[in-house]
Amino acid sequence: MNLLVILAIIAAWIGLRFLKANSLAWAAGIWVGLYVGLSYGINPPLPSSILSMFMAIITLALVTYLTAGNDRMKEMADTIVTFVVDKRYTGALIGVLIALPLLVSFKVYLNMTQAPEPPISGRTIHPVPPNTITVNGSPFNIVEGHNPYRELESSDPDAFALHLENGRRVYYQNCVFCHGDNMEGDGQFAHGLDPIPANFQDATTIAMLQESYLYWRVAKGGPGLPSESTPWLSAMPAWENFLTEEEMWDVIMFLYDYTGQRPRVSEEVH
Amino acid sequence: MKTLATLLTLLYFVAPSAAQNVDLGTDAQREAGRLMYNAKCSHCHGARGAGDGAATAFLRPAPRDFTTGTFKFRTTENGELPTDEDIRRSIRQGMPYTGMPPWPQLSEQEVDNLMYYIKTFSDFFSGPFAEVTALDMPSPPSITDESIVRGREVFLENSCIDCHGNLGRGDGPSGPTLTDQWDIPIRAADLTKRWTFRGGSTRSDIYRTFTTGLDGSPMPAFDIQPIEDQWALVNYVHSLSRDEADYSTYATSVFTTAAIDPSAGADAFSAAPEAFFAMVGQVIEPGRSFFPGVNGLAVRAMHNADHIGIMLQWNDMSADTDGINGPGLEVPIWPNDTDTTQAFSDAVAIQFPSGDGSGGGLPYLLFGDVSNSVDLWFADLSTPRADHYVGNGSGNLTASGMDYETSASYEDGQWTVIIKRDRTLDGQITFEDAAFAPVLFSVWDGFSRERGNRRGLTSWTYLYLEPAETESPLGPMAMYGLITLLLGLGATTLIRRKYSNVSA
Repeated sequence: MNLLVILAIIAAWIGLRFLKANSLAWAAGIWVGLYVGLSYGINPPLPSSILSMFMAIITLALVTYLTAGNDRMKEMADTIVTFVVDKRYTGALIGVLIALPLLVSFKVYLNMTQAPEPPISGRTIHPVPPNTITVNGSPFNIVEGHNPYRELESSDPDAFALHLENGRRVYYQNCVFCHGDNMEGDGQFAHGLDPIPANFQDATTIAMLQESYLYWRVAKGGPGLPSESTPWLSAMPAWENFLTEEEMWDVIMFLYDYTGQRPRVSEEVH
Repeated sequence: MKTLATLLTLLYFVAPSAAQNVDLGTDAQREAGRLMYNAKCSHCHGARGAGDGAATAFLRPAPRDFTTGTFKFRTTENGELPTDEDIRRSIRQGMPYTGMPPWPQLSEQEVDNLMYYIKTFSDFFSGPFAEVTALDMPSPPSITDESIVRGREVFLENSCIDCHGNLGRGDGPSGPTLTDQWDIPIRAADLTKRWTFRGGSTRSDIYRTFTTGLDGSPMPAFDIQPIEDQWALVNYVHSLSRDEADYSTYATSVFTTAAIDPSAGADAFSAAPEAFFAMVGQVIEPGRSFFPGVNGLAVRAMHNADHIGIMLQWNDMSADTDGINGPGLEVPIWPNDTDTTQAFSDAVAIQFPSGDGSGGGLPYLLFGDVSNSVDLWFADLSTPRADHYVGNGSGNLTASGMDYETSASYEDGQWTVIIKRDRTLDGQITFEDAAFAPVLFSVWDGFSRERGNRRGLTSWTYLYLEPAETESPLGPMAMYGLITLLLGLGATTLIRRKYSNVSA
C-alpha cells in the first residue's frame, strides 16, 4: 500500500464533493482516481494486463451508471452540449480537440516502446489437498488425520517440549536457509527464489491451515503440488526424502510455537 | 561568555573519558537477554556462545564464537573488544549474504539485553581490557575522480590484490588458502559486489572495515597515511561496484547481422544489455549446497537469423580446470563429503524446456521431471565443449552425444563462457522473435567441490529475443491522433448543428 497516493486520491474526491461536481465530473474523477490508485497505490504493482482488465470493468460500470437514469442521462448530455455549443467555452473546446489526439498519440507511443513483459504465471497459493497421501510408505488421511503429538501439549508438557526442541533443530538445519531466522520467508537464499518462500508470521499462511495440511506440504513439497500451483517453479523440497515422519511433525509444531500462531482445527460435526 | 567558558571546561574534562565505562547491564537485562538469545540466536551461535549451534555446520562464514572476545565489526583498534554500539549495530544490521539476518523487529531494550548477555560469554568483557575507546570515524568527503585514481595506487601499494585480486573480484593468489582464526575456509570479499559486504556497503562502513580490520579473519587493519589516501582507497573500492545487485527478471537477446562466433570473446556482446541473476544453493534435493561458490551470474545474448549466442559471466576466485564434472555426478550428503581424492572442475549449464513448451507448464526446475524433459547445455570447463543432455530429473540425465560451439576464458577472477546454438533444432526449443523462452542457469564451483546436485542455480527465468526490426511508432501515432481529431471535430460539428439554438 502506498498510503500517500491513496490519501491524495481521497483528498481529491473530498474536493469534488465540496465543489458540488455534477455526475460527469464525478465519473471522470472516480475513473482517474481508481486508475492512479491501482497504478501507483499498491505494492507490488499490478501487471499492466490486469490493470487494463480492471479499468475496462470500471469504465463499463461508470458508463452504465451515467446512462442508467433519464435525469442523469439528461444532466450528462446537457453538460456536454453546453460545453460544445456555448461560446464562453470555445477556447477550452479547441484545447480539448487538440489535446485529445495528442494524448492518444502519446499512449500509442508508450504502448509501442514499453519493455516487453515476461508471461505471468498465476498460481494458487493454498491448493486443495488430496484426501490421502502416502508418506514413506505409510498412508495418511489429510481430511481426517491429525498430528499424533499435538495432544502431548496438554497431556505431557515435558514430552511436548522435547518435540519442540527437536523441531527447532530440524528447522535450523533444513528450513532456515529459505524461510529465515524469524520465519518471515526471508532466509539467505530467498532473494534467488521465485516464488518466494512462505512467510509463517503472516496471518494468511499457517494460522489458517490445519496441521495435516502442513504435513502434506512438508512431506510432498513443490513436486507434490497440483498443476494450478506451478509445481515446476517451487523450491520447496519433498521432505519425506530427508526427514522422518516424527521430525516433520516436530518442525510443524515448532513453526506454530515460534510464531505464536495456533493451527486451525476442524470443527466437530455432530 | 561565561556559559561558553563553562561549556568548554566541561568538554575538556568529558572528552578524554569518552572511553566507555564498562557496562555489563543489570541481572534483569542479562536474564532477558538470555531468554531472547536462547530463542533466536542459540541455534547458530550455540547455547554457550561458542558458535557451535545446530546450524553451524551448514553456514559459511561460520557463526561467530563469542567466547574468545573476537569481533569482526568494530570501531576500536585491531584486536580490541568492540564497543556496546558495535555489538548493537551488528545485531540490528545483520551481515548480508550470510546466515546472520538483520533484526529490525527487536526493540532497543531487547537489543541491549542481547548485547549484555553476549558479553557474558567472554571474560574479557569484565577483565582489564574491557575498557575500549571508539576510534574517530570521520564523515566521508565528496568523491572525486582524482581520489579514485589515487585509490587504485593505494590499493596496489598495500597489497590488497593479494587477496582481493587485481580488479577486486576476490581472486587474489592467497584467496584459495584463506581460513579464519578457527581454520574454517573463508573468502576474500568480492569488491565488485558491494551489496554483499558483511560490515555494510556505505563508504563509512568501508572506512571502518579497513582501518580497524576484521578480527578473526585474515583482513588486517591498515594504517594508511595521509588520511586523504584512506579516503582515496575507500572511494576506489566504492567505485568498483554498483550500489545494489539489481537482479533481473529476464535477459534480452539483441539482433545482429554479424555471425555469432564464440571465439570472438566478450567484446562481441558489448551491444547486448547485461541481465544479472541471483544464484543460490541447490537446497531442494539430496546433495544440498549450503554455501555455493557463486552468488550471481551475468547473462548477455545476441542472435542473427540462424543462430543464438549466450554469454555467461561470473566471478570465481580460481579457475578449476583439472578434474571432472557432470550434472549427474553423485554427491554425498553434507557434511559427510570428506573424501577429497577426486578434484572437480568448474562447470556451467543452461537449461531450456524440451520441445516448444506448449504443454502449459514447465519441466521441474531441477533438470526436469519424468513427463517433461529439459535440454541441458552443459560445459565442463576442463574441456572445450558444451555437451547436450536430456534431463528427466536429477539422476535421470542422458547425454545425447551432440555438442555446441563454445568458448571459455578466465581472466582476473572472471569466467566468460559463450555457447552458440541454431535457433531451430529438432526436438529442442525454437528461439522465436519477440518471444520469451524459459531458461534456468546452474554454475558449479570446482574449488567448493560442487558437482551433480551440489551447485548454484537460478530460478526459472526468461530469455527474450528482440525482433530484428522494431516498428517505428511514428506512423501509428499519427494515424490514431488523426482519427481522434476527426472524430472530435465530427462530434463537435454534429452537436453544434443540432443544439446551437439551445445555447443561452
